[in-house]
Amino acid sequence: MIEAEATAEMLLMTGAFRSPQTIDEPIEQTLVRAVLDGEHDRFGRLYEMYAPLVHGVLLARVPRDEVDDLVQDIFLHALRKLHTLRSPTAFGPWIAMIARNRAMDFHRASRDTVEVDEHTAIAKPLNRTAKEVLDLIRQLPDAYRETLVLRFVEGMTGPEIASRVGLTPASVRVNLHRGMKLLRAKIGAVARP
Amino acid sequence: MNDNYLWDRTGKPDTEVQELEELLGTLRYQPRPLAIPATIKVRPNRMVLPLAIAAAIALTMLAAALWIHFAKSQAGPALQANGQAQPIAPSKIETPVPSRDNQTVGTVAKQATNPTRHPKTNPVLIATNKHSNVQIRQTALTPQELAEKEQVLVALRLLSAKLNLVQRKSQGLPQVNTIRNQHKMG
Repeated sequence: MIEAEATAEMLLMTGAFRSPQTIDEPIEQTLVRAVLDGEHDRFGRLYEMYAPLVHGVLLARVPRDEVDDLVQDIFLHALRKLHTLRSPTAFGPWIAMIARNRAMDFHRASRDTVEVDEHTAIAKPLNRTAKEVLDLIRQLPDAYRETLVLRFVEGMTGPEIASRVGLTPASVRVNLHRGMKLLRAKIGAVARP
Repeated sequence: MNDNYLWDRTGKPDTEVQELEELLGTLRYQPRPLAIPATIKVRPNRMVLPLAIAAAIALTMLAAALWIHFAKSQAGPALQANGQAQPIAPSKIETPVPSRDNQTVGTVAKQATNPTRHPKTNPVLIATNKHSNVQIRQTALTPQELAEKEQVLVALRLLSAKLNLVQRKSQGLPQVNTIRNQHKMG
């Protein structure tokens, strides 16, 4: 039940947006307003700040080869639609939601492609590669895989994930621990002879 | 497992988490410059829409005030006529052209010349101006007033067109092609 709530909260962004221990909030506001006032070159700073977040959100959902191009597309789309952003402080949650939607669109558009299944991916359980572990993470529920990718791949801490994605720190903490538990179980199951 | 290390990398490092960090860290985002095409247009702030709505309301109120003003000035003679409601004089009714059908002619003439058909108009049914102290203004506008009225109407049309343009821009709708009746090239 808690898992479902956490997932819903993440997907629907129903949770109150809090940003603990963040120093980026005023910068975001300034940058978004500057871009809207015509200083388009300031968008580059927003891109530098949030590209890892978008990369992580996408990497949890779409093939790695597609991620880099999608990151660029998403930021260009965000630049075009920046005037629709209601609160400049919510730039992170907003662009994360755009990335999730774009990942869904990607899967809708490429239903015919063959996806690598679990058994194919885990060829060498004792000597796992990054891609194999990533494939295991991708089999987890949405909220867990995104949080784990942001933590392990992008190197963000829990509080950073919470402030950037727009979730409460408690939700992120739950997602991290439950996701880690599930991932450990999957790795153990694969490693077993 | 060390919860704090997984949460914010504080406390005693967890070996398993560290291994995952090292392994998956190889997939980390590699910075790439964002190529912004010159064709991308960033729309201005959202304040345009509230301003457009406020302007629309102000214009509507102005137009309504002007409409009431002109309607009042044109309603003058009607009020005067109601105040002096009188039955139509039978002498003003034209007599039909005589024809061979004498009976029909006689009937029509009788009806037209019979003053006792509506002997007395019911005073209850007559619309009267109860505000006797209302001063009725002259209805005829001078040429200068007519010109001023025309100017106001033209200005309102222009403002309305501009407001429509602003609304369409703010809502992201395509612009209406105002060029009409043009010949196609080729």
